[in-house]
Amino acid sequence: MLRAAQLILGLGMVVIIWASFLWARPAENFVGQSSRIVFYHVPMAWVATIAFFLAAWHSAVYLRKRRIESDDAASAAARLGFVFCILATVTGSIFARVMWNAYWNWDPRQTSITLLLLVYGAYLGLRGAIEDSERRATLSAAYALVAFVTVPFLMFAVPRMYASLHPDTVLNARGKIEMSPDIKTVFFAANLAFLALFLWLYNLDRKVSRILREARP
Amino acid sequence: MSGASARPGLFGAAHALFLKDLLSEWRTRTSTNALLLFAFAVLILVGYAVGPTSLTPEDRPAVHSVLLWIVLFFSAMTGLSRVFVKEEDAGTGAALRLSAPPHAVLLGKLLANLTLLGAVTLFVVPLFLALMSFEVKSPALFVLLLVFGNLGLASACTFTAAIVAKASAKGTMFAVLAVPLLLPPLVGAVMGTRVAATEADFFAGLDFVRLLVAYDGVVTTAAFILFDAVWRE
Amino acid sequence: MDLVSENLVRSFGSRRVVGPLSFRVGPGRVLGVAGPNGSGKTTLVKILAGLLRPSSGHAFLEGDGLRRAPRDASEQIGWVAPDLALYGELTAAENIVFFAKLHGRRADRGWVDETIARVGLDPKRVEKTPLGALSTGQRQRIKLAFATLHEPAVLLLDEPSSNLDEAGRAVVARVVKMQRERGLAVVASNDPGDLALADERVTL
Repeated sequence: MLRAAQLILGLGMVVIIWASFLWARPAENFVGQSSRIVFYHVPMAWVATIAFFLAAWHSAVYLRKRRIESDDAASAAARLGFVFCILATVTGSIFARVMWNAYWNWDPRQTSITLLLLVYGAYLGLRGAIEDSERRATLSAAYALVAFVTVPFLMFAVPRMYASLHPDTVLNARGKIEMSPDIKTVFFAANLAFLALFLWLYNLDRKVSRILREARP
Repeated sequence: MSGASARPGLFGAAHALFLKDLLSEWRTRTSTNALLLFAFAVLILVGYAVGPTSLTPEDRPAVHSVLLWIVLFFSAMTGLSRVFVKEEDAGTGAALRLSAPPHAVLLGKLLANLTLLGAVTLFVVPLFLALMSFEVKSPALFVLLLVFGNLGLASACTFTAAIVAKASAKGTMFAVLAVPLLLPPLVGAVMGTRVAATEADFFAGLDFVRLLVAYDGVVTTAAFILFDAVWRE
Repeated sequence: MDLVSENLVRSFGSRRVVGPLSFRVGPGRVLGVAGPNGSGKTTLVKILAGLLRPSSGHAFLEGDGLRRAPRDASEQIGWVAPDLALYGELTAAENIVFFAKLHGRRADRGWVDETIARVGLDPKRVEKTPLGALSTGQRQRIKLAFATLHEPAVLLLDEPSSNLDEAGRAVVARVVKMQRERGLAVVASNDPGDLALADERVTL
C-alpha cells in the first residue's frame, strides 16, 4: 500500500510540474510568467512552517516522556524543514526580483522565513556540537521550544517596523490574488503534493535514525 | 552551632549565588574589564565609521538607534555566556547541582548577567550620547526601552548560555543560538529607540515597550520551565 | 533512611559501564565499592548522588515509607570525588560560607572556623589563600568539609583519601565514623585503607 501511495505521489508530482508550467495560465497582476513560482514557493513555505510546529511538538513530547523516537521525529522535521525553508527563501527572492526588481524588500513574510531559517540552522548546529545522544536530544528540544515561543514576536514587530520605515513600498499582494480555476486547482494540488512529499521524507528520515541507532552496538 | 537546617527559599539561594558570582568576578576582574573595553572599541569604531558628521540630521536617529543596540548586542554576545560556561570549564557545576535548587541557579545567573549588561549599558549609553551627538527627545521612553531591552537580552542569553555550556564550540554556538532568539526584542528596541529619538511624546513608542515586556515575560517563563531539563544530566 | 539500588544499569552509547547492580544500605552502615580503574565506581557514585541518570533500573533514598530519587533529595546527600571542584578563586572560608548559605545554614565566623578545623586545617593559615593556591591535600580536606557541612543522611565518598597524608586519612576515618551516627555512607576506592572503613563490599 505504501508503494502504491509513493507511486501516486511520484506521478502526481510529474503531472503538477507539467501543469504548473504548461497548463495553468499566468495570472494577471504578475510580471510575465512569474506567477508560476507560486505553485512552488507557497507550498514550500507552508511545509517549512508545519515542520517547525512538528519539531516543537516532538521536542515537548521528548522532554516529557524521554523516548528517543520523539527526538528522531523532531530532528527529522527540522532537517527537512531547513531544506524546505531554504527553497522557500530562494524561490521567494527570485519572485521578488522579478516582481519588484529587488531580491529582498523586507516584506514581513520574507523576514519571517529568514528568521525561521536562522532558527533551523541554529538547531541543527547545536545538534552537531553535542556528542552524547541524550544530551543532544534534551538540549536541542529545549532550544526548539524557546525558539518556538519567540519566533512569533517578530511577526508582530516587523509589520510595525514596516509601517514606520517604508509606508509607501508595495505591499505583498500574494494573499489578495483572485485565482482562476485552473490556477486554483494546480495550487491546491501542489500544496498537497509537497506536504505529502515532506511527510514521506520525514518518515524515511525517522526510519533511518532508528536503523542507525540499532545498528550501533 | 550552625543555623537552621531548612532550605532557604528560591530567592535566598539565588541571592547567595549572585553575590558569589559578583565576588568571583571582582577577584579576577579580567573578563569584565575586557568586556567594557570591547564595548568601548565597538563604540569608537561605530563613531568613526558612521559618526554624526557623516550623516544628515534626518538620517541620524534611525542609524544611531540601531548602532547603539548593535554595541549592546555585541557586548552581550561577548560577555553573557560566561556565567554558565565558566562553571562547566572549572568543573564547579556538579557542586552547584548538588547544593542549589535549579531555579535558584537560573535566577542567580540571570541577576548576574543583568548586572553585567547593566554595567555595560551605563558605560556605553552616556558615551554614545556624547560621541554621536545622539539626541533623545523622550528620555522616559528611552530608559524604559533600555531596561526592558536589557532584560530580554539577559534572559535569552542566560538560557542560551546554559544550553551551550554543555556543548562544544561554545563561543560560536552561543552567538548562533542567541541571534534568532534576540532578533525580535532587538528589532523592537531599535524601532522604539528611533521613536524616542525623534518624538517627545512618551506614548508614541509605547507599543515597542509593550512588545519588549511581552517578550521578556515569555522568554523568562520558558527559560524557567525548561531550565531543569537543561541544567541536570 | 536507606540507600537502595535496584537493577541499576548505566551505559554510554553501547558500552555498559555499570550494572546491573542491586543493593541496600541501611542507617549506620558503610558500603564499600571496589574495582579496578575504569570499572565504573565513579559513574555509580554519580548516579547515587543524582548527578547522572541511570540507563535503566533505579536508585533511591527510602525512608518513612517514602521513596525519593537522589536528585530530589540533594539536601540529604554529600558527595566527594575527584570530579568535584570548588571555586578556586575564593578562599576556603568563602566557599564554605557560600555552600552553607545555599543549604540555608547561618554561617557565622565561629562555625566556619570550626568546620575548617574539623577537617584538620588551621583556619588562620588558609584564611587569605584562594582555594586554587592551596595544596591538593588541603583542597581534598575542604571537599570533605563541603560534603558534610549540611549534615546529610547519605555521604558518598569517591577516592576520599586521594592526595591525603596520614593525618588526612585519619580525618576521613573520623568523618565516616561520624556519618554512621547521622546516616549511612558509601566509599568507592582502590585504596585498601578506604575500603577497610566499610562493613560490606561490592566489587565492580
